[in-house]
Amino acid sequence: MGTEAGLSADRFVGRPLRRREDDRILRGGTRYLDDIDPPGAAQVAFVRSPFAHARISGVGVPDGLEGVVAVITAADLKGRAGDLPVQGIQGGRVAEEGHPVLAGDEVRYAGQPVAAVLAESRALAEDAAELVEVDYEPLEPVLDARSSDVTLSHWHKVTGDVEGAFDSAARVVRASHALPRLAPVPMEPRGAIASYDEAEDMLTVWVSAQDSHRQLAGLAAVLGRPEESIHVIVPDVGGAFGSKGAPAPETMLVAVAAMTSGRTVKWAEDREENFVASYQGRGVEADVELAFDGDARLLAVRARIWADLGGYLMPTTAIPGHTTAMLMCGVYDVQVADVELLGKRTHKVPTGPYRGAGRPEAAYFVECTVDIAARELGIDPLELRRRNLIRELPYETALGWTYDSGDYARCLDLAEELVRPERRSDPARLVGTGFGMYVERAGGQFETAEAELLPDGRLLVRSGSSPHGQGHDTTFAQLAAERLGVGVDDVELRFGDSKEVPRGVGTFASRSVAMGGSAVVQAVDALKEKIEAVAGGRGMSLRQVAEAQPGLRASARFESDLVFSSGAYGAVVEIERATGRLRVLRVVAVDDAGTIVNPILAEGQVIGGTAQGLGQCLVEEAAYDEEGNPTFASFVGYSLLTAAEMPPVVAKFVETPSPLNPLGAKGIGEGGSIGTPGAVANAVADALGGTRVDPPFSEDKLWRALRS
Amino acid sequence: MAGAALVKPAPFDYRAPASVEEALPLLGDDSTILAGGQSLVPLLNLRLARPELVVDINGIAELDYVREEGGVLRIGAMTRQAALERSELVRRRWPLLGKAIRLVGHPQIRTRGTVGGSVAHADPAAELPVALTALGARFHLRSPGGTRAVDASEFFLGPLYTVREADELLEEIEVPEQPDGAGSGFAEHARTHGDFATAGAAAAVAPGGPAAIVLLGAGPRPVRASAAEEALAGGAEPREAAALSAQDVDDEHRRALCTELARRAIEEAMAGVPRA
Repeated sequence: MGTEAGLSADRFVGRPLRRREDDRILRGGTRYLDDIDPPGAAQVAFVRSPFAHARISGVGVPDGLEGVVAVITAADLKGRAGDLPVQGIQGGRVAEEGHPVLAGDEVRYAGQPVAAVLAESRALAEDAAELVEVDYEPLEPVLDARSSDVTLSHWHKVTGDVEGAFDSAARVVRASHALPRLAPVPMEPRGAIASYDEAEDMLTVWVSAQDSHRQLAGLAAVLGRPEESIHVIVPDVGGAFGSKGAPAPETMLVAVAAMTSGRTVKWAEDREENFVASYQGRGVEADVELAFDGDARLLAVRARIWADLGGYLMPTTAIPGHTTAMLMCGVYDVQVADVELLGKRTHKVPTGPYRGAGRPEAAYFVECTVDIAARELGIDPLELRRRNLIRELPYETALGWTYDSGDYARCLDLAEELVRPERRSDPARLVGTGFGMYVERAGGQFETAEAELLPDGRLLVRSGSSPHGQGHDTTFAQLAAERLGVGVDDVELRFGDSKEVPRGVGTFASRSVAMGGSAVVQAVDALKEKIEAVAGGRGMSLRQVAEAQPGLRASARFESDLVFSSGAYGAVVEIERATGRLRVLRVVAVDDAGTIVNPILAEGQVIGGTAQGLGQCLVEEAAYDEEGNPTFASFVGYSLLTAAEMPPVVAKFVETPSPLNPLGAKGIGEGGSIGTPGAVANAVADALGGTRVDPPFSEDKLWRALRS
Repeated sequence: MAGAALVKPAPFDYRAPASVEEALPLLGDDSTILAGGQSLVPLLNLRLARPELVVDINGIAELDYVREEGGVLRIGAMTRQAALERSELVRRRWPLLGKAIRLVGHPQIRTRGTVGGSVAHADPAAELPVALTALGARFHLRSPGGTRAVDASEFFLGPLYTVREADELLEEIEVPEQPDGAGSGFAEHARTHGDFATAGAAAAVAPGGPAAIVLLGAGPRPVRASAAEEALAGGAEPREAAALSAQDVDDEHRRALCTELARRAIEEAMAGVPRA
């Protein structure tokens, strides 16, 4: 913990310090949402739709139940809460189909909140929820994006003479891919607590979330209240993976309930609710076509992407599909492209950002198609990549993003060298090797920080970015300590309280170091100037400065265009012929996240992301039956990998600094989940002699593929 | 209703008898027996199980024992799986039980889960019913009307369904003496470590041929692979015998899986049998 003895305090960037927050976390010193137990709080249980699609003709509310405070239905919300807001996508159209707080006359997925019961305990609330009688008239559910008539988001971009390129191509390669829906499964499920002070007209909301300010904006929009009358506090958060970024309908209900009941109201969901009602990731299919000239140089990309968006648009539902579409040229030098995204309504829980959020989809679609092309063209897949890689950056893609920095060829060379490719086959097993490259949008928008010199000479930094497992408390302290020339232990960080921290954006899109870290650095630099002005070259200690001028503080708002991390992943897999069982023998992860502030934390992100990437291609699938019922409402129906399935992972970094921020940082939070699936899929296809199946690569699919 | 305010399941009454005699009058169509709770408690919490009365038998000390009597192994129904896993007697004389138990969930689950609970719950993915069927175990049941013993091969009827009547308590699992020089093997396949098995096989082989081969995942209950047993007794090689084990399984991949796991279980069992 803390500063290591004997090291000078002036260089912290690049130092492998242990996470200083772990001592508190591992000893149980954390305070998660459900640890907050306001005396006298009413507890919420939701009545959730058992049907994927139905009309509601009436809701019968029992009265006089012991211990029940109130039962709230959509009718009670009229004039009190609107639908959740919907974020648009650049250059595309998004329908106004925001998620209602409670269902009115229609439900569009099994698990959708229809009514809420407030009671003296969660157990009583659950008992009473069973007695709420909802009259459903079941309707036919639409469960497949390709056959859905309702388009919720649409984006289409054509650059260059696409028809001409395909007509004149020496070879055209076509492939279709489908990625299943995934449940985010954070260790800590979602939850919210709200209390309302009528005299002050102040609504206070504690919520397990990725940051406070998006929750604040969502509450203000849904409740029609000025933001100044809402106070959001994010306590310790036990994981999110994207699923706690957008505000939840349940959080809105808790807020309304606090205002109408006059009670403090708490909702801490159980695992079943988290599975069926938390927005999911992926659920995307694509048809991809690549046109090559006679030298196997890529002439054009054409792709049509169908995203299974679910019954409504959560605030960020449209974003991942747009990111997928924008990245469909991958790491390749190609200036002709036609990419269309069709986000479709289905009768399932909405999708939204989940670790990678559109990037794993794009990397998978592009990299698997490139491997198929290599096989059809009779070229080594690495040679085909090398012939087409972008080599000079910055590079503006045909789809309109500018990759700021990177050395894609170097990443690929390293991955090849480290993975030790193998291909063999014997009567018992098949072994194959695959690679997957990626480029990742990271950062963007703005982030804020405030630095304050405390009376004892220590440094207090408040960040608009907020951690839920990333290790901000360590990395941001390293950055601040280095800039001010103090020890890491002399820096205190604060996050997550909308009244205390400056208005920020939050932790998602691998943006914390590049954006939040840059804001911290700028705020500390500004404070340092003020300190130097006070000291005036008189050799004062920081404590003396604080005494001479109490309350010195400075703030910063750092803004930048998107930065683009990149990488190359390699995987070696083994398939058992008798059973179809897949074992991943090893994974090599080479990521270029620009400057690495803390190699231990960066490697941890890569390994964690790789585990999630392996999960999504080996076992995870949030499947619905033909009536639209979730089959994944518990860990019996939804499998996660365990430590026993983890192969050895070698993580290496190529550090090409971004020119867009003072640190040269890009992002490392998602690389593992982006790079791994494509590499494993290509390794599986290599072992199977080119046969492809869609993830998850279950033993029955692979066994059947071996026989086809 | 006071209790209902505290627990997640649908409301139920609760009794915790201290003896079998106290427990028996409580059993019936509207009651459920709580042993280790590793299956029942999740079912209660999900409100899939909604008994009126939960009879908690964790306080019945007389049902917790592992002992040998005249060559026969007697296991009290409330014996924790972990206790059986750690039993030197079982390891030495009935090693198949230990091989099966190691595959039951995770250590935490085996610490709470009981041998009797696994038998009475009759999950088709459970290892113990398969191993006990291969060992020719008998289950002793008691009701207010008397006692009876049922062979494992006749006890399991389908998923979560056995011949046990609602007023009967499973008291004891009796495992017969295994022949000198017998070998055993257990192989299974699960999506991830500790997950429910999708398929598996237990084999108990005696010197000179007689064998018991029982499959997990080949049907709604433990399935004896009679054709494979006969082939093995007739001197067939493990691979040949295994090929006959799962012929009645419809799904091709599941058949392949069961066949492969039967081969591994048989080979493991044969490796323990001294060559004649």
